[in-house]
Amino acid sequence: MAEMATPKPEVFTRKASGLVRVMSPYSAFVYNILTMGLIFPWTYLWAPGSLPGGQLVWGIILAMVIEIPIAFVYVWLSTALPRSGGDYVFQSRVFGGGVAFTVVMSGFVIWILQWVALSGWLVSYLGFAPLFLGLGATMHVASLSTLGLWFTSATGIIVVSILNALIALILLTSGFKNYVRFQHVIFWGTLLCFATVFVVLFATPASEFVARLNAFSVASGGVANFYQTAMDAVTKAGINVHPPFSLLATLLVAPIAWTSLQWATYSAEQNGEIKDARSFRSQTFIMVGSLIATGLLLALLALGIQKVAGSEFLYVAGAGYWSGISAANINGFNLWPPILAVALTASPIVVLIIGLGYLLNGFQIVCNCYIGMTRVLVAMSLDRLLPDWFSKVNEKYHTPVNAHLGYFLASIPVIVGYSLVTQPFTWVSLTLGVTFGCGYVFIITCLAGALLPYRAKEVYEASPGAKYTVSGIVGVLFTLLGAASFIALTWVLSPQAFASSVVLDWLVRLASIVAVIVFLYPMRKHLLEWLNGKPMPWLSALGMLGGGLGMAMVVAFLLSPALGVLGNWNFADFPKNLLAQIIAIAIIVISAVWYIAAKARQKSKGINVEYAFKEIPPE
Amino acid sequence: MPLFGKKDRKKATRLYFATDLHGSERTYRKFINAGKFYDVDILVMGGDITGKLLIPIIKEKNDHYRATLQGRVEEITTQKELEDLIARLGTLGFYHKVMDEAEFQALSADENAVNELFHEVSRQRLSSWVDLAEERLAGTGKKCYVTGGNDDAPEVLTAIKREGTHSFFACEGEVVQVDDDHTMISVGFSTPTPWKTPREITDEKLGEMIEEMVAKVPNLSHTIFNFHDPPVDSSLDTCPMLDWDKDPPEPIIQGGQTVMYGAGSKSVRNAIEKYKPMLGLHGHIHESQSVAKIGRTTCVNPGSEYGEGILRGCLVTFVDGQVEGYQMTSG
Repeated sequence: MAEMATPKPEVFTRKASGLVRVMSPYSAFVYNILTMGLIFPWTYLWAPGSLPGGQLVWGIILAMVIEIPIAFVYVWLSTALPRSGGDYVFQSRVFGGGVAFTVVMSGFVIWILQWVALSGWLVSYLGFAPLFLGLGATMHVASLSTLGLWFTSATGIIVVSILNALIALILLTSGFKNYVRFQHVIFWGTLLCFATVFVVLFATPASEFVARLNAFSVASGGVANFYQTAMDAVTKAGINVHPPFSLLATLLVAPIAWTSLQWATYSAEQNGEIKDARSFRSQTFIMVGSLIATGLLLALLALGIQKVAGSEFLYVAGAGYWSGISAANINGFNLWPPILAVALTASPIVVLIIGLGYLLNGFQIVCNCYIGMTRVLVAMSLDRLLPDWFSKVNEKYHTPVNAHLGYFLASIPVIVGYSLVTQPFTWVSLTLGVTFGCGYVFIITCLAGALLPYRAKEVYEASPGAKYTVSGIVGVLFTLLGAASFIALTWVLSPQAFASSVVLDWLVRLASIVAVIVFLYPMRKHLLEWLNGKPMPWLSALGMLGGGLGMAMVVAFLLSPALGVLGNWNFADFPKNLLAQIIAIAIIVISAVWYIAAKARQKSKGINVEYAFKEIPPE
Repeated sequence: MPLFGKKDRKKATRLYFATDLHGSERTYRKFINAGKFYDVDILVMGGDITGKLLIPIIKEKNDHYRATLQGRVEEITTQKELEDLIARLGTLGFYHKVMDEAEFQALSADENAVNELFHEVSRQRLSSWVDLAEERLAGTGKKCYVTGGNDDAPEVLTAIKREGTHSFFACEGEVVQVDDDHTMISVGFSTPTPWKTPREITDEKLGEMIEEMVAKVPNLSHTIFNFHDPPVDSSLDTCPMLDWDKDPPEPIIQGGQTVMYGAGSKSVRNAIEKYKPMLGLHGHIHESQSVAKIGRTTCVNPGSEYGEGILRGCLVTFVDGQVEGYQMTSG
């Protein structure tokens, strides 16, 4: 069946009421960019600190390329099921309620509490602190610098974080319109901040970098010859600031950059409100467009930092963060990109713009957490898997006040733990666990996409994407590439993670192969057909590729110590040194147990919760 | 009654409610099968059962066909492709008619003829739906009650008012005995909308219509209000405020954001607050799936996603004038 563009639709319509979608594709595009966090800093210090020899720019580009097939799967799924709820809806359609609830509750609802805490940290540490520190330095007012440092203290961060979450709670429950109004301020403030950081990094001559950094250090109460002092301390600690290129390290930069870029598809949670949500062009612009725009800008930012500061300084700054070398920090302050930009300018206005930009984008994160997760909580409550209390909508404000309140209360212990828990592991180091948690949500959705044409045939065939197929041979190659990436990275990283146990090492390696076989075995009939040249749905081909590449990223968090605490498999003094892994597994187990318990409880009242997801046969 | 032991408990009645199917063939077939699938006693379909779009499948000189679907022109070259297209149109809730170019051009120039064609295909589909329900529910003891909504033209709704049926019943304007203890009254009209649909009346008039129905009910605590229009400001009626002067109506943007409001009926809310029925079944606002308690009354709007072939609905269990439980479904 061929198709062509038409100048005038040849359809007859009649006046009828119905659903009105309010969010324009452009707004959804902006929403995704804000969610990805244009000005988030992880990659720039974490990667040089933990992955010597890794190429920052190429790692970011790689993360963007890996995310492209995943984003396309979401485009297909969104046009097939343009409903709010995103991942929960997609997964429940294909894998059923048990999988969807367990995955989304654990990977999103619980893990994202950490991001509520992180948002407060961003607002305090990267918003208020550099703002006052910079103003103190540029205006030579010591009390402002002192205040700036308070925002880096545990007390400062906890107070700011709780207030940050509380303000978001009040703003969002007072009516969504108030938030949307403020979102414009956030967007333009963030863009202005990012542009300013860009201009400062690219316009500052590299020859002046050392002098300006030293001057900032003095003005902030640090040492006079900061650059050389930091360089000496890092070198003395045995850190090579000129490491040779490492392919593995470059590959592992990608999962860190994925922390931002994996959110390119977050607008899927609000598909029911997006105009033209069934349109391929719109969804591609919203998801793939925002991904490429953000990926390129993040890579440019890395380029800008390298240009002005030099690669060796990135290793110095990274050591201050990752190895905790205090001499590589200014007054105890890690040298994140906004701090560098503030340090390089002598203008209080520039400091103000950058500080406010980070404040706004930090606040946007907590709002995103609430908006996304309260929708999920309401949906789960309506499915009778959470108490009715969560789905009560305030009649005056039309918002799920209880769900917001519940999420706020749940976030408080996480906020406190984020700043105070340092033993037996630092709670902060669980931050990339969110990328792991949310990562497996995205990947399971991706795999759901691969299976949608077979598990929810009617839904798929009624979708505009059903007509797009690819040669079965190409599709199988995509499948093999995805599977090979996952298995290969597991085989490379497993010996590092389980150096003390050959048995565990081989068990994990073999488990990766078994996992691929278990997933593909039900598709064996189709695989043979595709090998014989039968066309494969593009959605399945991209789902297999994106799912495999994404699984490689997720497994990297589990097996690479360089990507945070989940990759440190130290069995000594059990369970003390494996608490992070136990927490990660416990979150999944608790979610699964909750589902089973809720299902049993509802069954005793004559309610079968599976009915919420099961498709009724039309014939 | 035994002296010791449990009191004999009445069997609860299970009801399945879906609404706003807008002509979707696949969704309707699921709705009828929901009776067996969910093991319910009663099926209730709220209003807005007729479709909104009619797709002309235009036969071309080379025996191929063309049709515009979701903004794209599709060129159909084989019989199989034609059958697939018609099936997809049914899923989406669209009507179709195969015609030649001359017929299409003539229709395009005649609004009245298009309206008549809409009525004709709508009646045909509704009539086939009655047949399907009678066939599939025969001998099961399950009853299917259907009402119109504001979108359904009166001349189309005649197709569901059929005498001598055993399972399918048009229930609007009737007091229906849904089981031994409970009744249901149905009103499909709505307050005015910016689309100026066929069955809109003022809120006051709607209130009068409800009062007329209520007067016929013997025991209001054991009754179901099956009113298409949801109660105002109940969370079952939240939707964007629209500019009525634009065609099609557009959301009103203030301060860079869409204004949301409760578009339901004051009269419906007043009636629920005043008469305290057991259950309120509502629709009309597709995007506002919700459950709300207004006093003792459980009010539900399961929302609608007929365009995706998804049947949204709500299972309700009740006994002795009390709702024991409810569950939203997405089938």
